[in-house]
Amino acid sequence: MNKLLLLLLSVYSIGIVQAQDQYIERQGEITFFSYTSVENIEATNNQVLTLLSSASNEIAVRILMRSFVFQKSLMYEHFNESYIESDLYPEATFKGDIVDFDADLEGEQTRIIKGEFTLRNITKPIEIKATIVKTNNGYMISGMLNVLIKDYDIKVPPILSPNIAKNIQISFKFQYVPHENQK
Amino acid sequence: MIQVIHAQDLLDVLEAEPIDQQQNTIATFKGTRISIGHSVETRKKGALEISTVNRFWNTPEEESQSFAADKWNSRIGVDYAISDRFTIGTGYGTGYRSVDVFGKYRLFYQRDTGNKFPFSITLFQGGVYRGKSSLKGKLYEEDDPTTMVEISAENKFATTTQLLISRKISRNFSLQIAPTYVYRAEDKLIEDNSPHHFSLGFGGRYKVSNHLSIVSEYYYVANPVDFIDTFGAFALGANWEVSDLLLQFKLTNARNVVEDKFIIKTENNFNFRNGNLHFGFQATYFIQL
Repeated sequence: MNKLLLLLLSVYSIGIVQAQDQYIERQGEITFFSYTSVENIEATNNQVLTLLSSASNEIAVRILMRSFVFQKSLMYEHFNESYIESDLYPEATFKGDIVDFDADLEGEQTRIIKGEFTLRNITKPIEIKATIVKTNNGYMISGMLNVLIKDYDIKVPPILSPNIAKNIQISFKFQYVPHENQK
Repeated sequence: MIQVIHAQDLLDVLEAEPIDQQQNTIATFKGTRISIGHSVETRKKGALEISTVNRFWNTPEEESQSFAADKWNSRIGVDYAISDRFTIGTGYGTGYRSVDVFGKYRLFYQRDTGNKFPFSITLFQGGVYRGKSSLKGKLYEEDDPTTMVEISAENKFATTTQLLISRKISRNFSLQIAPTYVYRAEDKLIEDNSPHHFSLGFGGRYKVSNHLSIVSEYYYVANPVDFIDTFGAFALGANWEVSDLLLQFKLTNARNVVEDKFIIKTENNFNFRNGNLHFGFQATYFIQL
């Protein structure tokens, strides 16, 4: 009986240790840029939801498409209605592994994140070069990547193709803190 | 045990996190006009829209040497969004030398998630002053029937009040109904006619592609004037969105461009004969201030 209790207790404590390896960011920042000679488009999303597991070196990101804010309000409507079709595909997601991530390393480390980015239900493998900084209670991860709009079947009418870049630059900055809702 | 926890997908853990999905339904219509009349849409704060509305038609005469079309009517206007809900606008129409102003206030947004609300509702109030009366040829001096009555300035006003109610039924299909009250001061100058008119507007759009939609509108008039024949204004058109420019093409029987006049006093029925068929073209350019 005592042995069984001990076993249960140890399993329970392992569970807690595992959960504490999870870090969360609820207001992550993602900005995308489309630079062309005709016009520059920029939009920022400050409500990106993301988790980091320092035990498995995994990272997962959820991006609500309707939360991108544009300087020009008509662009917001066109982005959601005519290009991203956020009524059909409300979210983009990313799941990846940080290669050679050292969770205990103080200061800055530059790592490659290998993973899969899903936008408009189309999943493509991508590699992102990211800077990871260990903070007081978590991690700060930032970086940049490029996404080709044709990879995700975003249709641009020929007359507007000079206005929208073929290659969209995306930058991100996530500040993770320990995930409080451990199971 | 460790294996079990690792097997749990990090994305699934994220799915369990609360995320604010509560958003208003956007783009019930592409523009602030469906085709000839106002749509429920209001622009976001700081939006300035410059628009030109044109109608072209032919006279019924067989012989005509006019270039392209015999007649032409036009309005040039500016709309400005003071807030996300409140838009004001003004315009000048060439047909009756009319100056019009309007205000549009968004009362409710349709919302399909969270706190659901089934309709978008906007209140529209417009007013117009016409330099030229549309009663020309109807009113003669009693003593000398060869001269026309000069219409005083206070009778050159008209107002239109509309409750625009719409629903984006699917991602491609939207409908609008618009109970409308029109006051046309000059109509009371003709015996036994009331300046008060009631109408019900119907509008719809179907999105053919992400940038192109087919639209139609019809206005039923409950109490038309009896001194001329009038018909419900009808329009069938295509709206094409090209970045900051919205192009609206239409075939209509409405020659006039200000609400009170085309709703109450469209004098032609919709058919393809010269004099009845009007080709309409509207271009709206969007500027964010």
